[in-house]
Amino acid sequence: MPELTYRAAVRQALVEAMRRDEDVFLMGEDIAEMGGSMGVTQGLFEEFGAERVRNTPISETAIVGAGIGAAMQGMRPVVEIMYEDFLSLAMEQIVNQAAKHRYMSGGQVKVPLTIRTQGGAGWSPGAQHAQQVEAWFVGVPGLKVVFPSHPSDARGLLWSSIYDDNPVLFFEHRLLYPVREEAPEELEPVPLGQARVVREGEDVTVIATGPLVHRSLAAAAEAEKDGISVEVVDPRTLQPLDVDTLVRSVQKTNRAVVAHEAVTRMGFGAEVVAVLQEQAFDWLDAPVERVGARFAPLAFAPPMERYLVPQPEDVLAAIRRTVARVD
Amino acid sequence: MAKVEKRRGVSEERLRDFLREMLLIRRFEEKVEERFRAGDLPGFLHVAIGQEAAEVGACEAMEDGDVFASTHRAHGHTLARGTHPNLVMAELYGKLEGCSHGYGGSMHLYDVERGNLGANAVVGGGLPAMVGAGLAFKLRDEPRVAVAFFGDGATNTGAFHESLNLAQLWKTKTLFFCENNEWAESTPGWQHSPVWNDMSKRALAYGMPAVKVDGQDVEEVYEKTKEALERVRRGDGPVFLDVETYRMEGHYIGDAQVYRSKEDRAEAAAQDPLVRLRERLGVSAEEWEALDAEVRGIVEAAVEFAKGGTDPQPEDALKNVYA
Amino acid sequence: MTSEVRLPRLGQGMEAGRIVRWLKAEGERVEKGEPLFEVDTDKATQEVEAEASGVLLRIAVHEGEVPVGETIGLIGEEGEAVAAATVSAPAGAGAGAAVAAPAGAPGGPVAARAGGGRRASGTGGRVKASPLARRLARERGVELAALRGTGPEGRIVAEDVERAPAPAPAAAPPAPADVPAEAEVVPLTKVRATIARRLTAAWTTPVFQLTASADMTRATALLARARELDPDVRVTVTDLLVRVCATALRRHRDVNVRFTDEALLRFSTADIGLAVAAPDGLVVPVIRAAERLSLAETARARAALVDRARAGRLAQRDLEGGTFTISNLGMYGVEQFTAVLNPPQAAILAVGATDARPVVRDGEVVVRPTMTVTLTVDHRAVDGAEAAQFLRTVKTFLEEPALAL
Repeated sequence: MPELTYRAAVRQALVEAMRRDEDVFLMGEDIAEMGGSMGVTQGLFEEFGAERVRNTPISETAIVGAGIGAAMQGMRPVVEIMYEDFLSLAMEQIVNQAAKHRYMSGGQVKVPLTIRTQGGAGWSPGAQHAQQVEAWFVGVPGLKVVFPSHPSDARGLLWSSIYDDNPVLFFEHRLLYPVREEAPEELEPVPLGQARVVREGEDVTVIATGPLVHRSLAAAAEAEKDGISVEVVDPRTLQPLDVDTLVRSVQKTNRAVVAHEAVTRMGFGAEVVAVLQEQAFDWLDAPVERVGARFAPLAFAPPMERYLVPQPEDVLAAIRRTVARVD
Repeated sequence: MAKVEKRRGVSEERLRDFLREMLLIRRFEEKVEERFRAGDLPGFLHVAIGQEAAEVGACEAMEDGDVFASTHRAHGHTLARGTHPNLVMAELYGKLEGCSHGYGGSMHLYDVERGNLGANAVVGGGLPAMVGAGLAFKLRDEPRVAVAFFGDGATNTGAFHESLNLAQLWKTKTLFFCENNEWAESTPGWQHSPVWNDMSKRALAYGMPAVKVDGQDVEEVYEKTKEALERVRRGDGPVFLDVETYRMEGHYIGDAQVYRSKEDRAEAAAQDPLVRLRERLGVSAEEWEALDAEVRGIVEAAVEFAKGGTDPQPEDALKNVYA
Repeated sequence: MTSEVRLPRLGQGMEAGRIVRWLKAEGERVEKGEPLFEVDTDKATQEVEAEASGVLLRIAVHEGEVPVGETIGLIGEEGEAVAAATVSAPAGAGAGAAVAAPAGAPGGPVAARAGGGRRASGTGGRVKASPLARRLARERGVELAALRGTGPEGRIVAEDVERAPAPAPAAAPPAPADVPAEAEVVPLTKVRATIARRLTAAWTTPVFQLTASADMTRATALLARARELDPDVRVTVTDLLVRVCATALRRHRDVNVRFTDEALLRFSTADIGLAVAAPDGLVVPVIRAAERLSLAETARARAALVDRARAGRLAQRDLEGGTFTISNLGMYGVEQFTAVLNPPQAAILAVGATDARPVVRDGEVVVRPTMTVTLTVDHRAVDGAEAAQFLRTVKTFLEEPALAL
């Protein structure tokens, strides 16, 4: 099977949707001739032109708001917010408007808007270009939140997000763009709200998102050498969350570790832990461990950055703690 | 197809329709105040008393297919675009029969069939979406316009500036209708904007054409809005209407307006658009009584309808979160 | 036709207002729209206009606070009969006052109470075991307390339960020691025989013990003061303990119980027995409904019972009933001990001496008078958590006697 990079996967979903549907169009900063700051939209301006691949001024409120307005008229805009840190500039439109129109109207309108964004540490971008903010949105009723870790998932989920009739926040990750995966050439839609068991195991379940899925796989390989069999599950969609898959896994293994690149405190992982303790309490043989960034803004100097951000060895240590025994 | 001729003056018959519409809004708002004070209505409410001419003139100028976003002061626009008073009143009472089925309330009135895409409680919050709707009309080449209603207070928000900038840049089919009553809640114009004296400067900063309108003259509002709409509809780019109007009551029902001088309030009362139009048309006392009685009857009926409406089930709160 | 003047709702969230003054007098003519009275809300003093024209026939409330919607006056035509202004029904339903039904029952199963209760899942206080291990232990009838945990911090994990042998039978009683030839034979008194029989039965009851130490600084001061104020009634620590336990038993009704095969009996009064050394042996006279007695009354009751006990003149009814027992060996210098249950009661409190001991307060080592108490509990009737909460209350009351009196 051919190899697909994450970046190409996202692009493929956009291209195929735009080819199929006049109503799909893009708005964002520098997405046209430049092809996007991460190169994701390269080639789209050449194929679809300025009407459908629209460079915008630096106006996150208007970018998202215009997306909302067009979506309410039945189009399917995909807007790009260059860094997820800048979502904060569009919070009002996302949280007060997009999320609530359907509800406040008693079901009369819908907002089939997709907001693509990316972020992530590991390259010394500094504190304002590297946050992981998915947790801000998971708790907003009316929004859906997607965070794929693998190329085939990114492709299939972006397609499903575009065609979902609700506002969807689609989180990509800078370090994931070059990641490769063997995948068929055709786009296979992946439904929202469905987790994926990326690696099967017996002794402990690691629930991870984004780059931590890959770091957890690395930790799992190490743990295998010590005879610890690790199952890695990627929720893929954070809201709505596939609770059943997560719970069934923990019922099988009796131990859980939750890992994400975002700060541990009040992170998405906290919600997962709460859900596990509610629904799998009597299956837990150890406390649920959390792995996430330490509680500080992201430092610039590489040794400090590396210290703050969760690494494979942090996941491994957490795995070991759950299976630890005396004597 | 007949060429649309620019008409000078609105027919008297039409103006009488406007008068009736404006009076209906006035009596509706007065009734809403009364019912609020009696404790019937949950939440809080902002009435458009004094601004009826601006709202009726604008809404009558719009055509089927046009859409609009309103503000927290939304009853006038909603009624003027044709939503039945029964449905608006029922929404204020929180009933399923309400135009937002009880989910929205006074500041979130929607009527998609009539192009009402939602009143907005966030000042300036509805503008960006009207840029988006105007963009959709342009991309699809539809002769439709998205009208953004907002007040002078909204012209200070980031959303306002980003919206005007983007709309003008992309020449979206968006009309920016500023109901400039020179008050942002308790803050007078001179205290919130360096250009409060000439709000059109805000539009000119973005290269957008601006038109000043006497908001208390419904005929002028109608004509100038119509003209602006035609321009936008053609695809010549957005227009900013600086509509001078007066808020005759407080910001919300119960606002004692301690911040407003008696003179200012008196001046606002002296600009009552209903009085102006009535005099202009030379409506006799008997005609006025009859009209008033008819309109009051409609409003009373709306209250009865609303009171007899259906309360939503508590569990209904979990519906409509997602499509 | 008269129309009522009511206090209007002038703002969202306004529930009441204070009428400051009327701008028209009774009998004066008023036109609709004219200012009629002034009202003070939290935000400002406002004028309220008349809603009808006519004569202000009556002012029902001249000034003061009234709820929104209340009738405060009457407007009508001169000469109209004025019935005493009726208070109109409070403003209409809609006003956001629809009380939402309280959220559904808190998530998670409500612990089953009484009648059979939960299977024993641990003796001897808090056992550290994972939720999974607990469930397995429950299902297999394995006693967690008998296991050694191999999980971190000594936690019992599933594997430990799986490895455990089937529940061991109760340890056989130790073989009687050989009797040395020169021992003096003291025949058993009836009392001693009874004690032996009852306590042997008590010994087979599955019990657990909880120990706590209390800072007696305030208690000691309180008792000293009480004795100062009323030298005739010598209140003792035992009296305070009776008061404290009685109040605690009212708060923790689930400890004031007795186990029977058919059901748990839960008592509404705290009938507290005191272990007293009588000439013939240990007796436990009961202070009835101790929760109703003041500290002084408790002291008197205790004194009377102890006197009769020591004189061997306790009546049968002095000894009957009892829902809880206190045994105090502090006066003998015993620091801490574990009492045997007094069947059929579900709990007994063993009290040690109050000694000056070093304790840590705010990171410093200080000396405080400290007393250690040990609660023995019938695990068939009371669970660890309930007993622990009871003991915590007892400790709190001993440390802050004002709360219990």
